[in-house]
Amino acid sequence: MLENEVEIKSSAELLKTVEGLKNDGYRYATMICLKANEGHDLIYIFEKDYKLKNLRYYLKPGEKPKSVSGIYLCALLIENEYQDLFGLTFEGLAIDYKGHLYLTPNSPKTPLA
Amino acid sequence: MTTIIPFGPQHPVLPEPVSLKLEIDNDVVVGVLPSLGYVHRGLEKFIDTKDYNQTLYICERICGICSALHGVTYARAVEKLFDVEVPERAQYLRVIWGELNRIHSHLLWLGLFADGFGFESLFYECWKYRESVLDIMEMTVGNRVIHSMAKVGGTSKDLSKEHIDLILKTLDTLEPKIKDIEKVFVNNYTVKKRLVGLATMSKQLAYEAGTAGPTLRGSGNAIDVRETEDWDIYRDLDFKPVVEKDGDCYARTKVRIGELYESIKLVRNAISKLPNGEIAVPIKGSPTGEAIMRCEMPRGEVVYYVKGKGTKNLERLKIRTPTFANIPSLLLTLPGAKLADVPIIVLTIDPCISCTER
Repeated sequence: MLENEVEIKSSAELLKTVEGLKNDGYRYATMICLKANEGHDLIYIFEKDYKLKNLRYYLKPGEKPKSVSGIYLCALLIENEYQDLFGLTFEGLAIDYKGHLYLTPNSPKTPLA
Repeated sequence: MTTIIPFGPQHPVLPEPVSLKLEIDNDVVVGVLPSLGYVHRGLEKFIDTKDYNQTLYICERICGICSALHGVTYARAVEKLFDVEVPERAQYLRVIWGELNRIHSHLLWLGLFADGFGFESLFYECWKYRESVLDIMEMTVGNRVIHSMAKVGGTSKDLSKEHIDLILKTLDTLEPKIKDIEKVFVNNYTVKKRLVGLATMSKQLAYEAGTAGPTLRGSGNAIDVRETEDWDIYRDLDFKPVVEKDGDCYARTKVRIGELYESIKLVRNAISKLPNGEIAVPIKGSPTGEAIMRCEMPRGEVVYYVKGKGTKNLERLKIRTPTFANIPSLLLTLPGAKLADVPIIVLTIDPCISCTER
């Protein structure tokens, strides 16, 4: 568990919380994706006045995460990265590279999955 | 009617491959789509087969320009997992080599930038002065590019009295040279004509776009990770972030020039306060838990996430590099710009594709 971490239970709560953080003046830093149980943990990292705030959302196997790029445009690159590397499918991506941000059709599929 | 023009992946102003698909209407950019993936190395996967000490050498190879700081940041992240405090001398040594890293990175960028707007002799001057910093690196750590001075627990190299004399003498020679080139970058009519008012990002826009480093500070945001509690040592060194308000290409350039002087000051202050003592503490066991460590690289904030599982190998290493944070800002600054200005605008985020694609 990270410092200043909040557990998020649903994608609706995630979007609402991220929107609230933006309104509170938080800056989007990045998102971490790692394997957890059968699914994935997504850790969203925000920063304000040099303090980090981390949201952890457990993504169930087969669940499609909601993109936060509609709230923070800059999230689009990292979300596309995880489509490539973990095989996730983000719904509502501002620009969707469809699994080909880095990988070509002949590349290894979802190498971090 | 619009036309799609590919910018890159091979382009005279790009030292590394990145492609922008530019949608052009009557010589003006109306849309942009960045394309990556030309040099993706999969380093976050590669560490699966390396122990946490070997992983440091992988991290140093993420980027040839900010290699020292990648090593330091990774070491500090793992030290957080072990909950160890490195010796004070090692902390100062890391600052000295880290700031020298920043100086040669900014001089490299200034040279590339001068080349980008057609000032060839200025390009040569900047790179000539950068060589003197690389010479310091070679003399003090044995390598010009990959420095390998950081280790988990401290540093693997120390500075002798002769090294310190060399650094101070080089900086005394370098500082007036920087003042000379600064005059051209800041006062030259042609340079100002190309840069002032170009690709302006307001303070709010740069903040909300998640930008980092000089791109963020050039828009009036006084945000620099060296001010955080993870980097307490900088408070002892009289560190002040360099900030410009105007948010254009000219402002981003002035931030980097100002940071050259700031880094020279930091190196001198660190040397004057360099304590005696050990340079590393022994680390035993295997890392467990999760940690985040940030560091202010030459191009901006890098974020390291590490997760240990009680074995020698990390379970997960994730690195968010500054260029990765700055690329999306091009979606905001390029539309409305003239096609001829695209190279200059792209250069002012100081793109490092090697970092971005890890």
